[in-house]
Amino acid sequence: MRTLTLGPVGITTHRRTFAVGLIMSAALAALLVFALMQGQSNITVLDSLRAAVGIPVGAPADFIVGQVRAPRALTAVLVGAMLGLSGAILQSLTRNPLASPDFIGISAGAGAGAVLTLWLVGATSLWVTAAGAAVGALTVAALIFALSFKRGIVPLRLILAGIGMGFVAQAATQYFLTRMDVHEASNALGWLVGSVTGRTWTHVTVAAAVLAILLPPVLWHARALRTMEMGDDAARALGIRVAAARGMLAVCSVLLAAGAVAITGPIGFIALVAPAIALRLTRNAGVTLIPSALMGALLLLAADQVAQMMPTTVQLPVGVFTAAVGAPYLLWLVWRASRGGPA
Amino acid sequence: MRKRAVIAVLCLVALGVAIALSLAVGSRSIDLGTVWQALTDLDPQDPEQLIVSELRVSRTVIGVLAGAALGVAGALMQSLTRNPFADPGLLGINAGAALAVVIGLATGLATSYATQVPVAFVGAGLAAVLVYAIGARGAAAGAPVRLALAGVALTALISSVTYAILLLNDETIEQYRLWVAGSLTGRQNYDVTALAWIVVVAILAGLVASRQLQAIALGEDAARALGVSIGTTRTAIILIVTLLAGAATAAAGPIVFVGLAVPHLARALVGASLPWLLVISALGGAALVLVCDVIGRVIAPPGEIGVGITTAFIGGAIFALMARRMKVVEL
Repeated sequence: MRTLTLGPVGITTHRRTFAVGLIMSAALAALLVFALMQGQSNITVLDSLRAAVGIPVGAPADFIVGQVRAPRALTAVLVGAMLGLSGAILQSLTRNPLASPDFIGISAGAGAGAVLTLWLVGATSLWVTAAGAAVGALTVAALIFALSFKRGIVPLRLILAGIGMGFVAQAATQYFLTRMDVHEASNALGWLVGSVTGRTWTHVTVAAAVLAILLPPVLWHARALRTMEMGDDAARALGIRVAAARGMLAVCSVLLAAGAVAITGPIGFIALVAPAIALRLTRNAGVTLIPSALMGALLLLAADQVAQMMPTTVQLPVGVFTAAVGAPYLLWLVWRASRGGPA
Repeated sequence: MRKRAVIAVLCLVALGVAIALSLAVGSRSIDLGTVWQALTDLDPQDPEQLIVSELRVSRTVIGVLAGAALGVAGALMQSLTRNPFADPGLLGINAGAALAVVIGLATGLATSYATQVPVAFVGAGLAAVLVYAIGARGAAAGAPVRLALAGVALTALISSVTYAILLLNDETIEQYRLWVAGSLTGRQNYDVTALAWIVVVAILAGLVASRQLQAIALGEDAARALGVSIGTTRTAIILIVTLLAGAATAAAGPIVFVGLAVPHLARALVGASLPWLLVISALGGAALVLVCDVIGRVIAPPGEIGVGITTAFIGGAIFALMARRMKVVEL
């Protein structure tokens, strides 16, 4: 065990968790450099790094790295971290490895909001779409909380209410899609799979701000979250205010997912898979928040590199590739469940 | 027994009213006398009678088939998994059929209706087996939340593959987005006789198997003691559900929640007796789909809203309210 203290906040970690976290951070840094380098034009490592942090180095690098690759890669890192964190909280609260914010209506609500804006206003800018998505996600989130609130938030009820609302939102999305013309519909479908192309420094700033606001309350309740996994009674006996902590964590998880989906569109399966991988790497008994966030960032950044390297005529959105990571994991859950294991 | 028979008759009357509405109501309202004339003694010169015989009859037949199939499929799945949230749409079976059709459209293998139907069955069958394996087996089997999550996860996975194929094929999008909204229109040229036979035979098979299924619901040991072969019954039920869900999806596009809401309401009316539940679910499902279709025709003039969208709106709300009413221990 090892305790890191920073003012009043102390994070206790196992030695292995700490080491795994360091290795993941190093891998993330390496992948980030690769993301800045990868592509058509030849720019040296040093120039890439300089251009990424805003030091002018010359014509192609300033634009390609400084304005295209760097914001795209950082958006992927931040949104991946948000999704990983959101999934880890939700899976821990519900004690269910299949729970993920993708499946409880948040993404569907964002999709309905975004497609509605695309239909009414057209594809004027990414920001209008993002605003529509944020409004949609938050509306559905409010409805889910209202429907599942009954003397505190019951996580399982939250999931079921979310699934129901998700179908309502999807129906709305499909209605809007049938009303658009083909090009708009194709555009909207692209947004619905989730993508990090064309993201700018403003997107990075917004993602960083959302993460900076929501991370402190999450870490503050990390111990409560881990204790609640032992059962509500045990947590109460250990002095945790269960209802308050659970409400706060559920709200943070939903807001993280809503923020992520507004910035990139609904990228699936990161929130499902990242916490599971983090849990196995750290071999922790309970939830591991920071490794889950790091794993989410790693997965999304890696999936985006694969998406860029694919030799297809149209560049496929990154959401298609994160689904390709999610598929084997789901099948593995099937295999394990069919052998009588927990799932 | 008498109470159940009365309820069945009432459902039959409700279905009759729904059929009459479906034939008469639309962007052009036609009075019932003209409808009757169109059905019994068609005058090909009268445009109103032609609307009924050319458009609304086929639309109504497809609605009845899809609704009855989904109602029975839902009731069978809920009994098989002992799970109130089982629904072919919710569990991704319709999405599997949709993916198979999209693959067929994109590869050019299934551009005609005659080839789309078997392709939809294959997709539905694969998804049914997969979701049953994820959600209904293993240590925590039977927890409603688990099955619902497994279905939604599978649906999300299938949908993203579907989107990827669509993004690479612009022409497929045009055909797909109309099909996926679960519309009963634009299908008047299709010959639904084969589908009708499949649905009727599958519903009858479900009725025959319902005694065995009910024995399994008592517990596996009790079922064995009663001489029921558990493996055979389960396989048969999954096959029947696949046929019903595949037929409904091929006929009307993916429709969710009919298979969830209808058996639920039927159970409140006739109790747990499975044969009665299947009969009431078939009648109620057909009536619900027709009523939803009629609502979709009149709610947003001059356009129409596909029946899949109306049912998802109504069914999604029912689902969320069901979740609210359940006790935490049941989840």
